[in-house]
Amino acid sequence: MRSQSPFLSQKKRGGMMANHVLTQPKRRKYRQYDNKMGYLFLSPFIIGTVMLTLFPILYSFYLSFTEFNMVGTPSWIGMENYQEAFTNDPKFWDAMKVTFLYAGTGVPIRLVFALLIALVLNKVVEAAGIYRTLLYLPSIVGGSIGVAIMWRQLFGNDGAVNSILATFGLPTHAWLGDPNTAIWTLVVLYGWQFGSSMLIFLAGLRNIPTNYYEASAVDGASKLQQFFRITIPMLTPVILFNTVMQTIQGFMAFTPSFIITQGGPVNSTLLYILYMYRNAFEFFKMGYASALAWIMLVIIAIFTALIFKSSEYWVHYEDN
Amino acid sequence: MKKFFGFMLIFLFLLLAACSGDSDEETTPDATTDDVEQSNENQEETAEEGEEAITLRMSWWGSQNRHDMTNEIIELYEEQNPHVTIQTEFTGFDGYFEKMAAQASGNNLPDIMQQNFGEYVNQYASQDLLADLGPYVEEGTIDLEGVADTVIESGKVDGTLVGIPTGTNALVATYNPSAYEEAGIEPPTHDWTWDDFVDIATQYHEATGDYGTRLAEPGNMFDYYLREKGYSLFNEDSSGLGYDDDQVLTDYLAMNKDMIDAGVMPGYDVIQQVQGLEDELIVRGETPLDPTNWSNQVGTLEKTAGEPLEMVVLPGENNDQGMFLKPSMLWSIGKNSEHKEEAAKFINFFTNTVEVFEVIGSDRGVPIKPEVREALQPNLSEIDQKVYEYVNYVAENSSPADTNYPPAASEVLSHLEDIDEMVMYGQITPEEGAQQFREAAESVLAE
Repeated sequence: MRSQSPFLSQKKRGGMMANHVLTQPKRRKYRQYDNKMGYLFLSPFIIGTVMLTLFPILYSFYLSFTEFNMVGTPSWIGMENYQEAFTNDPKFWDAMKVTFLYAGTGVPIRLVFALLIALVLNKVVEAAGIYRTLLYLPSIVGGSIGVAIMWRQLFGNDGAVNSILATFGLPTHAWLGDPNTAIWTLVVLYGWQFGSSMLIFLAGLRNIPTNYYEASAVDGASKLQQFFRITIPMLTPVILFNTVMQTIQGFMAFTPSFIITQGGPVNSTLLYILYMYRNAFEFFKMGYASALAWIMLVIIAIFTALIFKSSEYWVHYEDN
Repeated sequence: MKKFFGFMLIFLFLLLAACSGDSDEETTPDATTDDVEQSNENQEETAEEGEEAITLRMSWWGSQNRHDMTNEIIELYEEQNPHVTIQTEFTGFDGYFEKMAAQASGNNLPDIMQQNFGEYVNQYASQDLLADLGPYVEEGTIDLEGVADTVIESGKVDGTLVGIPTGTNALVATYNPSAYEEAGIEPPTHDWTWDDFVDIATQYHEATGDYGTRLAEPGNMFDYYLREKGYSLFNEDSSGLGYDDDQVLTDYLAMNKDMIDAGVMPGYDVIQQVQGLEDELIVRGETPLDPTNWSNQVGTLEKTAGEPLEMVVLPGENNDQGMFLKPSMLWSIGKNSEHKEEAAKFINFFTNTVEVFEVIGSDRGVPIKPEVREALQPNLSEIDQKVYEYVNYVAENSSPADTNYPPAASEVLSHLEDIDEMVMYGQITPEEGAQQFREAAESVLAE
């Protein structure tokens, strides 16, 4: 019951001020009151962000300059962790290479798939909702352990993929056991989870005015010309958005290599975040792991900036 | 109209506030200590016993088999001690210590914690995270009367007793006698050499086409190999490796690599697919020989294999020098525990109660208390009988375990695993592997 009075008194004041809303200074006050209410409503979110996101981020920045084994006190060692990563840790570079290969191939594959499926779905009129849901499903369950375990079974030595190959008399293969193929099973998994990009593409496609197509058809444009001259240019803002989001996600992938291959064989699927996790929770090198996290943050920031910078040349906004 | 909505909002808020006010008193127990305490207090009020009702948190790793059996034991304890509720946290070995590390960092370790001998307990003890169990043993809360000194010693780190061994364990080579009989090959015996190991595996492969042996992961196997040759993995103050000549590792890697190339042994492409004990090659009948298990794992292996397995010590002319007994695991109490006394009582129950071992068998090793062993003797299952006999044999034919695993051991071993994989995949030669391991290990240990 204690909370009753502040609400009421504020309400009263608000009500009074609403009568004088036309006079300038009072109006400013009215806005301030408005904000207070707004912050009050936002406070659970703000408190959560500050305590559960902002504080850990800043703390990890501090930790990245220390040696810290999770218990005890961190001891300051300056830039040593960063130095160690770049000059004295071959596994750091292995993990980098794997991650760049993974994101560099997985992201385009996912985007192309997402766009193609979205184009097809855009034409479907009947039961479009069902198709959309079905195609979106892999993405909902995508980050989950369940799908990763399923993938492990699918591509296992006695898994479904090999069984199917054997049925058709094709040679089977140790997909996850061969250092040359293991990473590609993870890339395929990444491509398969195209649902969220697809939905965004679909929304983008629906937003393209149909009269553009009608007008160009009258002028004799072919379907292919329409696709490259209307659909793609009109879709570029959405492509930009999806590229940025997916690139970030690709660099931060963890579950597939943790669950499906444990980074093996011979570290061929050692995604960067998995290596970071190992340093933190298996070798108890929290400081070093924090430094690795910040290095990845900078890399992602650079890539995002580059994509945005390049967008001046290829993204088309309708209003300019 | 706006006013109306305003009032509606306030009304709603009041309603919400009123509701949440009520539910405050019946907070559902959460992972945080505060909440646990709160729920304890509630039980205190409702407990009919005179004793204070408490909740103990307990964690362990293991197979499904162990989870089931341990839960049964906990139920037994809760029946006998109605004021104690035990909250369990159990997982496979993978991920267990990651989880514990996070809890340690939050000063939130469980009251009763299954610890691992070697670098793990050394690390936790050096960080002062585990309670000193010495006083509880002295005052008799944990009764260790008659337990061999060497066994108690193995629960000490730097003179402080931080863990009570759950049982005694030894490395073991497990084989399937009927498979050898069918193939017409003599199975291994306690006095087999490394040459015999290669021969028996090769013969079996040639006779049947199946794998002659499982590829052993290097963590346990190479450690044993070094001991058998008179070395150790780490030097005395664990500032470097305990062997000087890289030829030792070269020989070890070459032995395995040759067998893989000959098809006698599976490579990592097969080993990597093994998901836990229940999925082992020997269980699936794909090989008759597994050169490195722990004696407490044989029960689960035999149970899932569905046919009798036999045990011999690991190969080598000096296998009495290589073999050692170690605590299968340790029971430790988190230093942050608020119910250390009660946790100690549970550990005492686990150590001294015959019924416990009737349930758990040899899954956590051979009981450390002589009375318990004797009481169990007549009713032992066939497999537990074999395990007891095996551990007895090793007790008389072994040398003390190495206790000097440094906290960085897990990182060194991860380098060893990487290099073993690279050699077995043929990416580097055994010589290169041996050299690279030394460089990597010494760089880690020098830190």
